[in-house]
Amino acid sequence: MRYKVLTVDDSKTVRIIVRKAFKGYDCEILEAANGVEGLAMAAKESPDLILLDVTMPVMDGVEMLTKIKSDPALKGIPVMMLTAEGGRDNVLKIAKIGVRDYLVKPFKEEVLIEKAGRIIDLKPLSETPTRIKSIFDPATILVVEDKPAIVLQIQEGLKHTPWKVQGVSHQGEAIDFCARTPPDLIIVSLSLPEDTAFTLFRLVRTNVKTKYTPVFALVVKTETVQQQQAQTLGFGAIITKPIDLSELETKIAKAMNLDMSQRYYAVEGDCMIMRLPENCSPGILAEAGNYMKPKFAAAVDAGINKVVIDIHQVRSLHMGVIKLLFQAMQTSRDLALQFALVANAQIITECKGFEDTRGWTFFDSLEEAKANVGKAPVQQLAAV
Amino acid sequence: MPATEQITESLIRDNISRAVKHVFMTMLGREPTLTTAASSPKEVAPTPSALPDGARPHVVGTVGFLGDVNGLIYLYIDLDFARLCTCHLLGMTSDELSEAGDEVINDAIGELTNMTVGSFKNGLNDSGYACMLTIPSILRGSNFTIEPIGAASRFTYHFDCSNHRLAADILLKLED
Repeated sequence: MRYKVLTVDDSKTVRIIVRKAFKGYDCEILEAANGVEGLAMAAKESPDLILLDVTMPVMDGVEMLTKIKSDPALKGIPVMMLTAEGGRDNVLKIAKIGVRDYLVKPFKEEVLIEKAGRIIDLKPLSETPTRIKSIFDPATILVVEDKPAIVLQIQEGLKHTPWKVQGVSHQGEAIDFCARTPPDLIIVSLSLPEDTAFTLFRLVRTNVKTKYTPVFALVVKTETVQQQQAQTLGFGAIITKPIDLSELETKIAKAMNLDMSQRYYAVEGDCMIMRLPENCSPGILAEAGNYMKPKFAAAVDAGINKVVIDIHQVRSLHMGVIKLLFQAMQTSRDLALQFALVANAQIITECKGFEDTRGWTFFDSLEEAKANVGKAPVQQLAAV
Repeated sequence: MPATEQITESLIRDNISRAVKHVFMTMLGREPTLTTAASSPKEVAPTPSALPDGARPHVVGTVGFLGDVNGLIYLYIDLDFARLCTCHLLGMTSDELSEAGDEVINDAIGELTNMTVGSFKNGLNDSGYACMLTIPSILRGSNFTIEPIGAASRFTYHFDCSNHRLAADILLKLED
């Protein structure tokens, strides 16, 4: 839903500053230069929030506010005063008429957004709305953990990614970091003293800049009460210690809504390459399987007719991998793609041990497969 | 609310110094410093120009306040600095501002004056002098003098701000 914010101020400068402040958020800014224009605009547009100055010509803000509150159609619209009129008595008098908040000029744009964000659910506009972020795009991950070894472990475990992992040990540092550069994801240790993790989670959720930032809880496996509490509060995922870094990476990518297809599929020259990683967990196989059809179809659409299925990194063959390979070969046949397989010596040996995979032909290297795809004998397909 | 303290030069100086610093720091990220003490009301005749830099073109914002105490504050800003302030406030380049015209500068300086006088006046409010702001207006010129009426007291303060000078000229009608 796109929110409407009406700014009523005789100063064009203030109206421009308000527009500038809300620029990064999914809302429409409406403008009026005095109370009369403001009332007409409010009646016509039914804004979700009115920012109202006091001293204006034609009709001032106090009169406009009084009229809003006596009009059944308008009285439900939240009003925030944005005015240089800030003496205690005047503020109290105006507050009694009925305002949701009061911001005295001069003001910082961040403060205006923070206060508005408490009244309407401001959503930041994506900087690149048309392009889904991929696993090759940089991102910042904030780890709030007072044990440097854990931060180091996460940094080491994710160093092959383009993500920057920043560790802080206190709630205050985390808040400062979020204010300076809102991270793409936050991991908070539940073992921080005095419920710091839960307090921090609430603060992150009330800040308009981080209210949609995924937050993971980091906890010892046996601390089930804390895990339940985190789930109830709305943490995006629970990461248990000792940390499975591969699982963490997958969860981070999922939470950040990244396009993971490039992890498994790439076009190199005139070939589509399908790659499986060293550790083929059920999650990874499911992910690779989900992207398969659209990726192969897109390759065909782009004029490619060759696929190399590269499993040389796979450590051991199991039924999940075999099923996915059958699926890849069948999809290739359905789309009239020629395909070739690449594997290491151990996988090739293991394939000989299964009746269904015994007839598969492998190349030793990707280059060899790319050069010979289409020339190799047709792979035998059997039902698994 | 009854007045809790007399309006003295010291109260006025503290209020205007705080107000100018607060507004310029918050809106422009610049910290002005008070450079001259006030002219005592008795020393202002004949009335000098508050223009800090002789004949350079200036934009002067004016906002009044009415109530338990009545007054008017002129905020003198040289044109170059007024342009800088406007660009910063509105996120415009100098070329964009030239295209937008003088009205944009007038409006921006009017708003800076409104905030400054509002902040000054709120300090008076909190000392027990209830009053309301008037709508800003703008004067432009290079060499002029504003002469207060006989019953008014005048206090002029100069500030340095990022190699520019600005002045706050305060005219107050104090009750005996």
